[in-house]
Amino acid sequence: MKLDRREFIKQAAIGSALATAGSLFPGISFGSWNRLAGGPGVLAWQKTPCRFCGTGCGLLVGVSDGRAVAVKGDPNCTVNKGLCCMKGYHSVQALYGRDRITTAKVRKNGTLVEVPISEALDLVAEKLKQTRDTYGKDSVAMYGSGQWTIPDGYVASKLFKGCLGTNNVEANARLCMASAVTGFMTSFGLDEPMGCYEDIDHADVFVTWGNNMAEMHPVLFSRMLSSRKRRAGVKIIDFATRFTRTSQAADKSIIFKPQTDLAVANAICYEIIKNNWVNDNFVTTHVSFHKGKTNIGYGTEDHFTFTDSAETIDYEAFKLFLEDYTPEKVEKISGVPAEEIKYLASLYGNPSLKVTSFWCMGMNQHTRGTWINNLVYNIHLLVGKISTPGNSPFSLTGQPSACGTVREVGTLTHKLPHGVVMNEHDRQMAAEIWQVSVENIDPKPSYHTVEMFRALDRGDIKFIWIQVTNPMVTMPNLRRYRDGALKDDRFVVVSDVYPTPTTDVADVILPAAMWIEQEGMFGNSERRTQHFAQIVDPPGEAMSDTWQIIEVAKRLGFEKQFPWSQDNYIEPIWEEYRRFHAGPTHEMAPYTVLAERSGVQWPFVNGRETRWRYNPAYDPACNNGKDFDFYGKKDNRAWIWARPYEPPAESPDEDYNFWLNTGRVIEHWHTGSMTRRVPVLHNAVPSSYVEIHPEDAADLGVVNGDLVKIISRRGELTMPAQINGRGVPVRGMVFVPFFDESYLINEVTLDAFCPISKQPDYKKCAVRLEKA
Amino acid sequence: MMKTNANQSRGAPLSLLAVSLLLPLATLLGVAATATGGEVPDNFDNQGKKLFTAQQQTPTGNLNADSGGRTLAKFYALRQYPGSPPRIPHVVDLTFSGNETDCLSCHGKGGYSAEFNAFAPVTPHPENILCTQCHAQIQTQEPFVETDWVSIAPPKLGLSFLGSSPPPIPHTLQLRENCIACHTGPGAVVEIRIDHASRGDCRQCHAAVPQSQPLTEFTRK
Repeated sequence: MKLDRREFIKQAAIGSALATAGSLFPGISFGSWNRLAGGPGVLAWQKTPCRFCGTGCGLLVGVSDGRAVAVKGDPNCTVNKGLCCMKGYHSVQALYGRDRITTAKVRKNGTLVEVPISEALDLVAEKLKQTRDTYGKDSVAMYGSGQWTIPDGYVASKLFKGCLGTNNVEANARLCMASAVTGFMTSFGLDEPMGCYEDIDHADVFVTWGNNMAEMHPVLFSRMLSSRKRRAGVKIIDFATRFTRTSQAADKSIIFKPQTDLAVANAICYEIIKNNWVNDNFVTTHVSFHKGKTNIGYGTEDHFTFTDSAETIDYEAFKLFLEDYTPEKVEKISGVPAEEIKYLASLYGNPSLKVTSFWCMGMNQHTRGTWINNLVYNIHLLVGKISTPGNSPFSLTGQPSACGTVREVGTLTHKLPHGVVMNEHDRQMAAEIWQVSVENIDPKPSYHTVEMFRALDRGDIKFIWIQVTNPMVTMPNLRRYRDGALKDDRFVVVSDVYPTPTTDVADVILPAAMWIEQEGMFGNSERRTQHFAQIVDPPGEAMSDTWQIIEVAKRLGFEKQFPWSQDNYIEPIWEEYRRFHAGPTHEMAPYTVLAERSGVQWPFVNGRETRWRYNPAYDPACNNGKDFDFYGKKDNRAWIWARPYEPPAESPDEDYNFWLNTGRVIEHWHTGSMTRRVPVLHNAVPSSYVEIHPEDAADLGVVNGDLVKIISRRGELTMPAQINGRGVPVRGMVFVPFFDESYLINEVTLDAFCPISKQPDYKKCAVRLEKA
Repeated sequence: MMKTNANQSRGAPLSLLAVSLLLPLATLLGVAATATGGEVPDNFDNQGKKLFTAQQQTPTGNLNADSGGRTLAKFYALRQYPGSPPRIPHVVDLTFSGNETDCLSCHGKGGYSAEFNAFAPVTPHPENILCTQCHAQIQTQEPFVETDWVSIAPPKLGLSFLGSSPPPIPHTLQLRENCIACHTGPGAVVEIRIDHASRGDCRQCHAAVPQSQPLTEFTRK
């Protein structure tokens, strides 16, 4: 073979890099690389969305000899325009960890025994049927995730809600996105952002609300930095409870006391009204005012229920409500100087500035998560900065398909693919498309996630099937839920790709195909549906989660509802699912279009994607003849809510004098079950730690690396301290990344949740520290 | 003490100050500087703001410019071990007596110097203004006695974990948090100069994995 000069240099470089790498990294296998590097190199690049966060970067995966061997950013994808983050660039290495689960395992006399997957699926179907016959339809449950592909979630919902008649379908997105959903539903009547990532190229001011984007949504963050560099006068304001890499990059960092974002948001509205910055035309035409219940509780007790009720109020009543939130009063609760509150308000209020607000877990994992979502919409609505390029209240997601699967397919107890189980019309639509009797669909929601695991502990649920997630690391107040899952007559099925603390409690482990080992779709934060083909084969007997569910459905006698063949099931599932969203407000692209493009935004009407909803210049569903059409609500208006400040479920006191805050680092995603199998990411952050303010550390007498015991009312954990690392918490707060199964910080956290969204608050509970 | 070190040991009990004085050397060499936990990432990323400021303030032209004059061989010739403070390779006027602004007039932001007919390298830590605390002016090349000093090899280049993936940062970040200072612009060493700094957050793609630390695989405990 004749190589031209450039090709020769490239090959030589790859060869020598491999040779050195092999000798430098004992224990890391470069064997197959060497083999491939001697051959023709990368043969084909295939498109896929990234496996990790909700940004939804387009990747091109290099495939050679049946293996994924390289990654580059997809230049055709408007999300990331050819750039990824360190997780994306190394993502394919997560397929090849040596402890990959490749065969089914069944617990016999206490030990897990390998069995053929068909035998394991027989057992799953038999146990499910037996449990249902003995204890009733609501004794079986399915728990999935925002990493489910859209077909995964769709068949799960169809089997459990349509065929088995139980609403016991939940997903870990409840722990992650539920407050965003209830925020959208209460303010706009329809879920998911009105804007898109292109807002980043237009906004003059970015405000990150409790959102460390530099580590959590790095590709969007660097797009923001690049936008600031390119255009004069662009500002980033970081509004947070802890000093992070995002605070470092911001033009201004404003620190507030946990939970007081509620008060600050109201104070911003107060200032906007006081200074006559209100966009009167917009508010008169497009906004209505409402209030809901107050003193709504925290859900820490079993069987907690709460239903909000909306009462319409007028603008004057809303102004009166804001009187309690002058910047001076709010300074006292929030610790944010009144001047800084006024400054924030002036940015939102200045009619010549386009403002985009970003948020994710800080606002969603919040015992008043729905409220704080409402309050940030209030700010944007008062000044009319919404649904136009650069003016965007933007709720980001943490998982690749939290939007696509959990929110759009509706794998939550109250949801259906279109609408909710409580609505008769929605049930009829589901029954017709699913070919089941409408009586089969239960009109009453059952258990949200926390209550589902409480029900498992109590014994109301006896059988649970967990797919693509790791609740035995992520559930708050974890010990109770792990003990519950381990009780004698509970049957736990776990489909996963690697052993985790969740597979440790399983009675059956099903080997799952991962990401590009199957065909599927994800849906990202900006309403973009992203298809990927099967690019490599799954190892051993690993099988897609979709097909595992179909296999069990067939064994339970639902061939009619699950008629597809293993050769071709994704396309017919997509086309069936798409019927639920027909119409201009949520039309989804057909399969053939998805297969061709690097993601398509819905509503996809007449061959065109919708970048800004509710704006007739972009959104074909607008038909009121005005400059905006908020068609989600029956009054055709966006709703401003009077929502007060209420304290968190647990605050530091004399006995437990520190806040505990938990979260992530850029290197690791979720519980680290994938990223820890990627050598570079593991070596960059091999284990978790507790961030302590340097002066608190001095008081405790600990230096970097010293062990610290973190004690709460639920449990305790001893781990090394990090002082002046990449994040610095304020005095009186510690921060712990939750990715590390060796340090289960969720044994310490509290299972209080937002009564409206039922999403737990992982950012606030009280602990005390001891030098260990 | 330099500012970064002061940060790190602020509030530490007095008895520990002596230990923390030793930390810079230890961390530059990538030796785990932790007491008991031993696995705390040693990123010193709390100084990351420098990078973002540099990205914002460096003109795009300078981010992309290339002069080609400085090489890695020249770079390491000035150092005793990877990460050591380089000696000052040029004559410093005798009247210059540590006046702190003088070094930074060239090395603060870089730029062309007619005197040396070269582009000045940019320091990643201009906030440490007493330059001669660490950077020595050499008066003679003659050793006092011969030495048996040896050190580790400098980090190898291009050690990507995948064919196309961004190489990890092979050195620790302490005093070198501002990637842009050394890796972009006409004063940069040609072998490590890059021209894609406009997005600013280098650590988005490049993980800090010092080569001098042992690499491990994740295994469940």
